[in-house]
Amino acid sequence: MTLFKQIALILSLFLLIILTTVLILNFQSANKGVQDRLYEDAKNTATSLSLSLGSANGDLSMMSTMINANFDSGNYRNITLIDVDNITLYDRTIEGDITAIPKWFFKATKIEAPIASANVSAGWSQVGILKVQSDATYAYKQLYAILIDLLISFGVIALLGLIIINLLIHAILKPLKEVQKQASAIMRNEFIIQGEIPYTKEFKDVVLGMNNMVSKVKAMFDKGNEELKMHKELEYIDQNTALKNRQYLIDRLPEYLKIDASSKGGINIIVALSGMIEANEKLGHQDVDKLFIEIANILRSSSKIFKNSIVARINGTEFSLLLPDCTNEEGLELAKNIYDYVTKIIKDCGLNKDETFISLGLYAYIHTDTIAQLFSNSDNALAQAKFNKNNIHLVKTENTNEVMGKEAWKKIINQALFKNRFSFVSWSVINTKAKKLEHHVLSINLTLDKSTSYSYAQFMAPAIQAGLSSNIYTNVVSMLFKTPTMISSSSTYSLRLPYEYLDMKETYEEIRELLKNKALPFKLIIEMPDKLVRKDSQHIKLYKDLFQKYDIEIGIFEFIGESDDYQYLQELRPAYIKAESSYFMSQSAQSLSALRLITDSISISLIAVGVVDIETVDALEKKGIHIIQGLATELIEV
Amino acid sequence: MSLLLVNTSFSDEDYVNKPLLDEITQKYKIFAKKRFHFLQETLNSVKDKSDLEKLEAVNTFFNDVRYSSDIKIYKMRDYWATPWEFLGKDMGDCEDYVISKYFALKYLGIDYKKLFFTYVRSTKFKEPHMVLTYFETPRSEPLILDNNNHKIFSASKRKDLTPIYNFNGDVLNQIGKDSKKSHKKWDQLKLNMQRKKI
Repeated sequence: MTLFKQIALILSLFLLIILTTVLILNFQSANKGVQDRLYEDAKNTATSLSLSLGSANGDLSMMSTMINANFDSGNYRNITLIDVDNITLYDRTIEGDITAIPKWFFKATKIEAPIASANVSAGWSQVGILKVQSDATYAYKQLYAILIDLLISFGVIALLGLIIINLLIHAILKPLKEVQKQASAIMRNEFIIQGEIPYTKEFKDVVLGMNNMVSKVKAMFDKGNEELKMHKELEYIDQNTALKNRQYLIDRLPEYLKIDASSKGGINIIVALSGMIEANEKLGHQDVDKLFIEIANILRSSSKIFKNSIVARINGTEFSLLLPDCTNEEGLELAKNIYDYVTKIIKDCGLNKDETFISLGLYAYIHTDTIAQLFSNSDNALAQAKFNKNNIHLVKTENTNEVMGKEAWKKIINQALFKNRFSFVSWSVINTKAKKLEHHVLSINLTLDKSTSYSYAQFMAPAIQAGLSSNIYTNVVSMLFKTPTMISSSSTYSLRLPYEYLDMKETYEEIRELLKNKALPFKLIIEMPDKLVRKDSQHIKLYKDLFQKYDIEIGIFEFIGESDDYQYLQELRPAYIKAESSYFMSQSAQSLSALRLITDSISISLIAVGVVDIETVDALEKKGIHIIQGLATELIEV
Repeated sequence: MSLLLVNTSFSDEDYVNKPLLDEITQKYKIFAKKRFHFLQETLNSVKDKSDLEKLEAVNTFFNDVRYSSDIKIYKMRDYWATPWEFLGKDMGDCEDYVISKYFALKYLGIDYKKLFFTYVRSTKFKEPHMVLTYFETPRSEPLILDNNNHKIFSASKRKDLTPIYNFNGDVLNQIGKDSKKSHKKWDQLKLNMQRKKI
C-alpha cells in the first residue's frame, strides 16, 4: 500500500470517527432535548390541570370530565389521578402504536416520556396526585427528522472533508510523487534530474541526493560514450584516407556471412596499388598521401550505389570493397570504371602507369562463406588480376551441390507455413563467472513429419532466397504468443528477430495484436539487430513502449560498436548486448573499458556469441566478458 | 396515630454541620452563629417529643425571624431562600418561613408526607400567602403553621385563609423517574441546598 493511501485511510478514518462521535452526541443531545420538552409539557399540564381539579371540590365525575377534556385536546400518552391511598380514581391511556416512523428507528431509539405529577387538593384536604405523561409520537417524529437532517448534513460534511483531505495530502505528498517517479526512473536506468526541489526538508534531501547520483552516473555514461567514440575512430578508421580499416571489415563481416543474412551474396573487390616505392621517390610522401585520399574518394563514391556496402583500407596499399547484391557483370563494370579513374589520376600526378598501377581482384561471395574463405578467394582473385592484361579478375563461387533445388525448398517451406510445422528448440546462455544459466535462446526447427526435420541453418538460407523469411517469422511469433505453453518452462527466453522482419510496418501491428490477447508464462527478451536499433527511429520507440507495457525486455545482437553516438543505448536500455566473440577479442583494453563504462552505468550485460572452445572462454574472461553463447556452453557445468 | 407519639427517626447529626456553620459565621458574622446554635438547642430540646411539640417548637422558633419581602432582601420578585439564607440573614417572606419549618421538622423525624406547602389567599391582607400544613393522616384536617398568626390552628379555625393549592416536592419527587424534577421553585431550592447556598 502506498504512503498516500495509508495516510488518506488513517485521516479518513479519523475524520469519520470524529464525525460519527459528533453525530451521536448531537443525536443524544437532541434526544435529551426532546425528552425535556416532553416533561415540561407534561409538567405544565399536570400543574394547571391539578389547579383546575381543585375547583371540583373532590367530585370525581367533574374531575374525570376535566381530565377527558385535557386528554382529548392534547398529546398525552396517559393521565392518571390517584387518591391519597394510592388507588386509581381515574385513568386515560392512548391506544395503538406509533406508526409514523420506521420500526427500526422506534426499536433503536428509546424515548421514555417522563411522568410529571402534581398534588391535587380540594380546599384544605388532599384529593391525591395527578400523573401526566406526554405522547412520544411527536417526539419520535421530530427525532427521526433530526436524525435524517443530521445524517444528510454529516454526509455532506464527510464528503467535503474527505475531498479536502484528499486534496491536502495530494498537495503535501506531491513532491513525494516526483521523488517516486525519479526513483522509478533510476531503477529503469533513466537519467532524470528533478528540476523542482521540494520545500519539505526530508524530500529535499532525497531529491538532491538522487539528483547528485543521477548526475554522476550520467557523467559516467557520457564519458564512456566520448571515449568509445574516440576509440572507435582510432580502431576502425584509417587516419590517412578516413576510410574504414581491416578490423572494421572483419567485425562487420559476420553480419553478411551468415545463414539468415539479408543479402545472399555479392562481390568483394580487393584493390591493390603497385609501384608505391617509385611513387614515393618521385612525388614524396605528402603527395602520395593525397593520391591515396583521391583513390579512397573514388572507391567511396563508386560503391555508394550498393546498399550496405563496406569500403575499407586493409593495409598500406590494398583496399577492399564489399558490395552486397552486386552481380558479376556490375562488379566487373565497376572495377573497370575504378581502374580507369585511378589510372587517370596516376597519370595526372606525372607517374608512370606501367610502374604505378592498380589491380582489382573480384570474388563473387555467397552468404554461407566463412570470413577465411572470403579473404582467401579475394586474395586469389587479386593474384590472378596482377597477371591479367587489364589488371581485373573475377573469381566465381564454386557451385555447391544443393541437396534440394530452390523450388523444392520453396514447396517444403510453404507447406510448413501452411501446416504450422515450425517448432522451438533452445540453447543456453551461460554466465561463466557465476556458473549459472542467464537465459535460453530460442531457435526454430522445421519438422515436416516424424522422419524429416530441418534445422534453422538448413532451411533459412533457401527461405531467404525464396523471400519467405518474414512469413516464417510471422508464423513463429504468432505461434509463440498464441501457444506459449509449448515452451515448458517458466524461465527466461530470448527470440532473435531479423532486421527485415522488424523493419516491416505490419510486423509492429501483428505483435501488438498478439500481445493484447495472451500473457506469456515466461519472461521474454526480444533481440533486435544493432543496425536497426542504433537508428533510434520512431519505429524503435514504438517497439520499446510496446514491449515495456507487456514487461518484455529488449536485447541487442550483432553489436560492433560502430555508432556515432551511444545515446541510443540510454534511450533503449536493453537487457544485454550480444556481439561476436571475435569482436570482444579484437577490442583494445581502452575500447572495452569505455564500452563497460557505458553499459555498467545503465546495467547492460555484455554477451559474447559464437564461443566454440574453452580457450576462447578463458580469453574472454580475461577481458571481463563472462556471459557466453555458443557450443562452448556445453563444456561448462552450471 | 396520636400527635403525642414520639418519632424516633431523628438524626444524631447537627441540623447544620460545622463546616457549613463556619461558612455561615464568616458570611453573616457571630450573631448568625448564635441563631443557629439556638436553633440546634431548640431542635435538640424536642427531638424526643411528640409531633405536636415539635411543630410548636419549630413554628415558634422561626416565627421570631423578621418578615421582609424578596425584593428588599434579594432584589427579586419571588425567591425561595434556603434555611441557611433565611436564618443567616434573619429575615424572609412567607415561603422562606415554610421552607425552614419544613426542613427543620423533617430533621426532627416527622414524616414528610404529612407536611405540605399550601398556597392560600389571605382574606385579611387580600394577598397571596403560603403556609405549612400538617396532616396527621392524609384524610385528617390539617394544622396550619403560619408566620402571620404565630399560633398553630387547625384549618377550620383559619377562616382568614382560603386554600388554593397543596404541594409537597418530596412526594412528587418519588413519583417521576427523574427525581430532580417536580416543581420549578422546589427544584431550584433543592439545587441551592445541595450547593450549600448561604
